[in-house]
Amino acid sequence: MMRVQAPYTNLFRMQTFSMQSLRAGLVLVACLAVLICASVQPAGAAPNRVVADLSDDLVEINSSYHGTELLLFGAYRGMPGDDLILEVRGPSTDLLQRRKEQKAGIWINVETFRWLGVPSFYHVFSTRPLAEIAPLQTLTESGVGAASLGLRLAKSKGGGGSHHNGGDDSPVSRASASTDEQNAGLVRNMTGLGLWATRTGSVKTQQDMLYRTALSLPSNVPPGSYVVRVLHFRDGVAISESKTDMKIRKAGLSALIYRFAHDYSLFYGLFAIAFAVASGWLAAVAFRRN
Amino acid sequence: MYIYLPIAEVSMHIGVIIGLGGGVGFLSGLFGVGGGFLMTPLLIFFGIPPAVAVSTEANQIVASSVSGVLAHMRRGNVDFKMGGILMAGGVVGSSLGVVLFKFLQSIGQIDLVIQMSYVVFLGIIGALMLTESLRTIIRSRKSGGVRRKLHQHNWFHGLPLKMRFRRSKLYISAIPPLVIGALVGVLAAIMGVGGGFIMVPAMIYLLGMPTAVVVGTSLFQIIFVTANVTLLQSIQTQTVDFMLAGLLLLGAVIGAQFGSRFGARLRGEQLRGLLALVVLAVCVKIMFDLALRPEDLLSVELLR
Repeated sequence: MMRVQAPYTNLFRMQTFSMQSLRAGLVLVACLAVLICASVQPAGAAPNRVVADLSDDLVEINSSYHGTELLLFGAYRGMPGDDLILEVRGPSTDLLQRRKEQKAGIWINVETFRWLGVPSFYHVFSTRPLAEIAPLQTLTESGVGAASLGLRLAKSKGGGGSHHNGGDDSPVSRASASTDEQNAGLVRNMTGLGLWATRTGSVKTQQDMLYRTALSLPSNVPPGSYVVRVLHFRDGVAISESKTDMKIRKAGLSALIYRFAHDYSLFYGLFAIAFAVASGWLAAVAFRRN
Repeated sequence: MYIYLPIAEVSMHIGVIIGLGGGVGFLSGLFGVGGGFLMTPLLIFFGIPPAVAVSTEANQIVASSVSGVLAHMRRGNVDFKMGGILMAGGVVGSSLGVVLFKFLQSIGQIDLVIQMSYVVFLGIIGALMLTESLRTIIRSRKSGGVRRKLHQHNWFHGLPLKMRFRRSKLYISAIPPLVIGALVGVLAAIMGVGGGFIMVPAMIYLLGMPTAVVVGTSLFQIIFVTANVTLLQSIQTQTVDFMLAGLLLLGAVIGAQFGSRFGARLRGEQLRGLLALVVLAVCVKIMFDLALRPEDLLSVELLR
């Protein structure tokens, strides 16, 4: 309950009255009143505002980590028929895409394409299918879907560049004919890995004021800085937007091993060997006595 | 209970890891082989990235070879001089193998080369072992026993740098063991195996070593080859998953004990025949993987 109050307080500060001196209990009541007032006002008459929060803005990958689920929630000042799109984006990375072909009876990689600055994690949630919420161009301008991902192929590896001129329900837009297959493959592969997803109809709203959705992080989630973005759409137009940050990092023993392996790789290797020799010796001694 | 593997960056059920270690450990105890040729493909099958599987398996084989070699040392079945020469070749070969591994990885062909090596070497070794053990079984049924020459003389017995290997009762050039050590070292680094399944037949049939010292000497040199791979992969690619290796080891140690006790009840040629079938099964499985149309022709690899 404490956490849920945060967005309300934020929302409240937006108003011109100075309410900071009021007690916490009054804040909530007053806030709800403002929300109700706002919802009956005509669109555009007051500054629109959507706020976002997470049940946890720091996810630690420790030894017992096997994926986790976060609650993504917040408040908005909506009207019936409004839509919300939520977007969770992980750190960008370069990515190699390989294509197999049958050569002499076996399937081997024959082509490699290098994609630049691809989000290693990209989950989109919405109240309805994206195409029903707004025209493709509006979505692109708002940075939802294809263009916002800024997907492009490195030129050197062949296959040509890719042009993105719109967005659809998949995170990648339709591109030029030569890269349709590559785009579809990228979405398919990343979705298969659980790193990309589009979940339409997954955002639940309450009385055009509150929204929530569940973000599930897979066990192979890439660590790094994440950005959560919420967009509020009315009649196919984005009327307000909000962002919040999230961090995913390795912690505990798994962080220790990872850092040891990368920062002191020589000692890590020696340690791994020493451990193996010691346990091999121990095993031989232990079972000899039996 | 799932455990997050910090280097592989995936989580795996702890029971699966220990079970894998135990199962492969049982077979390795049963047949007196390292089991790397089974473990590495299995790890890849369970979603461990191939590079991590190969490096981590090298680390685990260090432990199983140490525990194996100690038993052979007690019986005096290790030819340290021969082992030392094989090792010298092996360290050079495996160093080359690690470099080759990284190169193949960069051009996207490492999976293919790993799979092809498995098909070729497991196919050859499996077929040889199967025919040999069948022949022995048939012959031993026909006549009372089998008599073989101590060792045959090949062309390379005329090479220079002759050395005396007392434990092996050999007086041969040091060049063949050096070359064999190096070649097996390259394969060990690429395939994520100790290489015993190639080394042992090579020692018997090419070098003419007596079978009693072959396994112990092979294990002795495998320790150093796999330790070298562990160290180089740690430095070069940071793909040795200490957590995974430790858990596999736990299962393997226990499994190997049961395996060797069970194996004591079977006869040598029966054991070799069974091992040949296991080897051929792995070979055929990988061959199918290569020949069948993959579900998706496109694949991605995230660069970190």
